[in-house]
Amino acid sequence: MKRGMFALAVLALFVGSAYAQGTIKIGGIWTLADITGKQGSAAAQLAVDEINAAGGVLGKKLELIVVDDEGKADKAAAAVEKLATVDKVDVFVGGMASGAELGKIPAFKKYNKVVMATGAAGSATVEKALGPSPESDFYFHLHPWDYNQGASYAEGWNAIQQKYPNIQIKKIFLAYEEGAFGKSSWDATKVLFGGDKRYTIDGASFKSALLGGGDYTAVLEAAKAFKPDLFIWAGYDADALPLLEQSKAMKFSPGIYLGAPPGWPIDFGASKLSPNVMLYGMWSTAMNNNNPSSAKFFKNYVAKYKEEPATYFAPLAYSAVYILADGIKAAGTTETTALVKALEATKYASPLGETITFKPSNIIKHQGITRQKILQWQNGEQQVIWPFEAATAAPVYPFPAWK
Amino acid sequence: MIVKRRVAIIAALSIAAMTALIVWKPTVLIYGLQAAGLYAAVAIPMGLVLGIVHIVNLAHGECMMLAAYAAYFGCKALGMDPLVAILPTAIVTAIFGWVVFQLTIRRALKAPELNQLILTFGLAIAFSQAINLIFTSQTYKMPLEYVSASMDIGDISFGVWSFVFVAVAIIFAYGLTFFLTKTMTGKAAVAVGQNPRGAAIVGIDVYRTYGLVFALALALVGAMGALFLTKSAIFPGVGSPFTMKSFCLIAMAGIGNIPGILGASVLLGVAENFLRAFRPTRDWAEIVFFVLIIVVILARSLKGRKS
Repeated sequence: MKRGMFALAVLALFVGSAYAQGTIKIGGIWTLADITGKQGSAAAQLAVDEINAAGGVLGKKLELIVVDDEGKADKAAAAVEKLATVDKVDVFVGGMASGAELGKIPAFKKYNKVVMATGAAGSATVEKALGPSPESDFYFHLHPWDYNQGASYAEGWNAIQQKYPNIQIKKIFLAYEEGAFGKSSWDATKVLFGGDKRYTIDGASFKSALLGGGDYTAVLEAAKAFKPDLFIWAGYDADALPLLEQSKAMKFSPGIYLGAPPGWPIDFGASKLSPNVMLYGMWSTAMNNNNPSSAKFFKNYVAKYKEEPATYFAPLAYSAVYILADGIKAAGTTETTALVKALEATKYASPLGETITFKPSNIIKHQGITRQKILQWQNGEQQVIWPFEAATAAPVYPFPAWK
Repeated sequence: MIVKRRVAIIAALSIAAMTALIVWKPTVLIYGLQAAGLYAAVAIPMGLVLGIVHIVNLAHGECMMLAAYAAYFGCKALGMDPLVAILPTAIVTAIFGWVVFQLTIRRALKAPELNQLILTFGLAIAFSQAINLIFTSQTYKMPLEYVSASMDIGDISFGVWSFVFVAVAIIFAYGLTFFLTKTMTGKAAVAVGQNPRGAAIVGIDVYRTYGLVFALALALVGAMGALFLTKSAIFPGVGSPFTMKSFCLIAMAGIGNIPGILGASVLLGVAENFLRAFRPTRDWAEIVFFVLIIVVILARSLKGRKS
């Protein structure tokens, strides 16, 4: 009898201790078949592991529960429901495609838990659906909106031309894929660069290899005839090398050759055609040299997963978890009102080379990063050209003629 | 006599049109032929299966995608060039084709056509999703210097590598014609294609012949998969657009008319590039594909009704 009582007491003590210990649950939603989701969720798990190894948050361990949204709005909405009701998560993190993010918003609003969004640039859809403060105050948008990105490119090129007088841009040609992404890039380019008549703009569409195309000869012929100083292509990673190969075959070498896909193919840097191609992005391995936070993230990621992060969505998701953890620590709770207030005071020195704070954007109250970077492939690595405070190399200009 | 005269008129008109294009817009003809070569080289194996096994393989493009992945990772592991990988990939995909035929398609040959379509559609989804699960949607492309080989004619510089697809399409078309008309196995395959019951009565193993034809088609698809690596990046969905294009080209050429696929591809490739060459019609290039198919099939139906 005594032995039984003792066993019960030990069990009660154990259970009680485990309950007190508890966990803070983070619901992560990504498209796992996509490299951005695969590496984004892996980087978020890395951040959770690091935080737990350092003692957790408020004496509790963090637990990341990941659900795949398959890039679809309906699956994304179901993922929010499942995480909120079955797993009973305290906060949400993740996201990439605007379409999938749009599907989550009604459910996010219903549960009113803090969301740290790592993707979704579509302001006309996602930001509009979120609506103004206070109804969207639970939503912290880390990734820049499309208009933030466009404005930062215009700012970047102006700054580069001022600092490097040998770089002069008068004519810009945009080769854009014929889908929604390309067309919105074309519309934004016309407004941002063609508005004040400083630049002469032209463009033509092409069918991306990702959507069954892959023949760029017509668009490159149009670009070559236009003789642009800055040639930009807005397509997908599947277009990157074939476009360059066809450009070389057609001996098309503009002053600046810039690609703006969401991600680059594996081993693009190893191609002999990659040197001096410019790109838009947020992070590169070159930043490890002048940013300790980036170096730490990179080292730990490679040690854990035995592969290099190939997309900026990895450091972005990693940052998202750290920002949430810091916010929960400061608030002392995961309760939404208190956590929102604590997160508004965020100053996080991120691996992305900037200190993240939250400011109002055009509609919502909590916008994190607003600037993209202008980078250039040099010796197989992406080097940051602009913003100058994060620069890792000077630009190579002009894009050399093909040999 | 009348037919010969009509053929001569069409040939003369085609030559005249080509000459005019060479003088006026040479790139239309150059890029049109290159595109035609790619379309035809992918479509011909599908035409073989449709002509003899009488099954629309909706997993045709996905089979090419699988071959391209196999060739890519083979090349990466062994440090090979994709051109060296053509033959090994063809052998592997031929074996794969034989196995797929015996395990799945053979079971559905006597089923209604809708069941056959659903089966191959299911295979297409299974293949692309399997690759998506294993390799994610990340794209892969082999950096190759020779694909940027260039030629100048006057002020025009253009790539010449894609002419390799023209050569491959011609080899496929005439190689298959030779196989089907001059070899015992080929003749048996034609017999099975025309009348399977009759072929079985004279002692031809119908299912073995079907399996061989399917394996041969997949060998050609495999070779194209390896060659396709030189031109394009690969990802799980890279093959599916070629299924529809291939089927439409076969419909234009007429089922069983393998050399006809060459002609249909040239018509399509040149028409597409003609529209792309002018700013107002640039975005119409995709529509021309469907317009041509409708016109050709409509014309054929009207002709059939008259006769």
